Amino acid sequence: MSAATGIERFLAAAPWPQRAGLRLLLALERRPRGAALLARMPMAEQAAHAILALGRYDDPAVACALGWDPRAVVARGRALRRAERRP
Amino acid sequence: MKLDCDFCVVGAGAGGAVVAAELAEGGARVVVLEQGPSHDPDGFTARPPEMLARLYRDGGQTATLGAPPIMLPLGRGIGGTTLVNSGTCFRTPPHVLERWAREFGLELDEATLRPCFERVERALSVAEVTPELAGANAAVARRGAERLGWSHGYLRRNARGCVGSGVCVFGCPTSAKQHTGITYIPRATAAGARILTGADVREVLVERGRARGVRARLARGGELEVLAPTVVLACGTIHTPLLMARSRLDDASAQRGRNLALHPATAGFALMDEVVDMARGVPQSLYIDEFAAQGIIFEGVAGPPAYAAMSLPLTGARHARAMADYRRLAQFGLMVSDESRGSVRALAGAPVIRYDLCPQDVSKFQIGLARLQELFLAAGAREVYLPLPAGVAPERARARDLRLMAFHPLGTARADARPTHGVTDRQLAVHGAPGVYVADGSVIPSALGVNPQLTIMALATRLAFHLLGRSVPGELSPAPAATSAAAREDSQPDREESACPS
Repeated sequence: MSAATGIERFLAAAPWPQRAGLRLLLALERRPRGAALLARMPMAEQAAHAILALGRYDDPAVACALGWDPRAVVARGRALRRAERRP
Repeated sequence: MKLDCDFCVVGAGAGGAVVAAELAEGGARVVVLEQGPSHDPDGFTARPPEMLARLYRDGGQTATLGAPPIMLPLGRGIGGTTLVNSGTCFRTPPHVLERWAREFGLELDEATLRPCFERVERALSVAEVTPELAGANAAVARRGAERLGWSHGYLRRNARGCVGSGVCVFGCPTSAKQHTGITYIPRATAAGARILTGADVREVLVERGRARGVRARLARGGELEVLAPTVVLACGTIHTPLLMARSRLDDASAQRGRNLALHPATAGFALMDEVVDMARGVPQSLYIDEFAAQGIIFEGVAGPPAYAAMSLPLTGARHARAMADYRRLAQFGLMVSDESRGSVRALAGAPVIRYDLCPQDVSKFQIGLARLQELFLAAGAREVYLPLPAGVAPERARARDLRLMAFHPLGTARADARPTHGVTDRQLAVHGAPGVYVADGSVIPSALGVNPQLTIMALATRLAFHLLGRSVPGELSPAPAATSAAAREDSQPDREESACPS
């Protein structure tokens, strides 16, 4: 799954007020004038930034470069569960 | 569709799963209705956004309204929040039990609850984390605590065969964490309980003032009626009071949905000289209780880059620079035993959670954040990133400056021996609604100051044996087998004395 799909599912799962609010913040954050507007609202800017960062660093290539390989973690988990007949 | 049983349990999390397994093994006919799905660990990807969307209610984005707003992630599905918590296990602190006896008339002392705790701890394989498994992130905090002379220790957790995957809260990929979905629910099933997922209970059915079952909507379509003389609500602190209100159960105390405690929490980061790789090891493996008497406890927290990037209290180029050093970032959290109280009610069918941080709790965060900074600096941090706006020092932080999360909602159907003061009684029966019991965090009448899953499970164990009319065995030996009829005959749900041997 791409990082963008993961973020879209994350947003889609939110209750509608948060979903609508976060989508608006993300749209603003991606535009220069919108970002300038958000810079005057630190809490809103932080929220938008957090969601963008969540998506950016969820990309396995980015995460691997930082020493974290989710595929290896999952593969080890599966191997252990099968070898030891864990649930 | 209609089903018939002795006990209908609503919810398969910390409370519901335990009650269901103990009742079924005691010979009762049990039906468990769980609103969420059953999660297959083969589907766990260790990727935070996807796992938040799948394993959490509202994608983990449930939030309170108030100053400040607080994120309140809740698990959804078989296992409930035990599927997505850090696995930390504390028994109820003795001073909390004393307070419950004094203020709420709950005669629960350490000796009374000991067999319940022992039984749960054995079922969950609770053991202390080893230093090797705790990882370098815990080593940073431990070093700081040792240099400052602060009381600390490794946490006890419900894990077996853990290899420190670092993603407890995003679905354990090794099934090491012994959540109720792989412990109590299989036991319940083996003992004959019926577990239905995708069953959204809309109403407790009441006839002539007494419970007669529940009505649920099924995710696959249609409705289900479960007829049972005893209903155990275990939907969690946010949703249990809403179900009670929808069912128009008696609320003489007017306390239903009130008294919400959350254990609000926050966390800071530190840039270290050494490689930390915070997601290698058990994320929550160390505690510092030096300031527990002031209502502040520190606990480990950590996660993979996506999680850290979302939590790091920086923006722009500073955020990018810090994330480029992710391997040298350490994180630690603090949790407050709150005096603030909130409420939950329904608006157009959805929960509205109100919670404002009171000045006393703001003060705890001011102290806690200053101590957290001290801890990191004592451990040798090059830089410390606290979750505060730029230029705001910890001791000057206001409620609106704080970035908080909470993981332990409690108290919205609080137990109190007096019907005028509590929603449930000392046996967790709903006052004024014979046949309806509660087995989740909502009955806990005050903040605990520690992670609550073990308390919820111990109380659920006690309730199950009370409903069976038996004492809790002192040892793990399987509960005595009994036929359904025998279990029904033995049942004494209205008796007042404790079912646990003192």
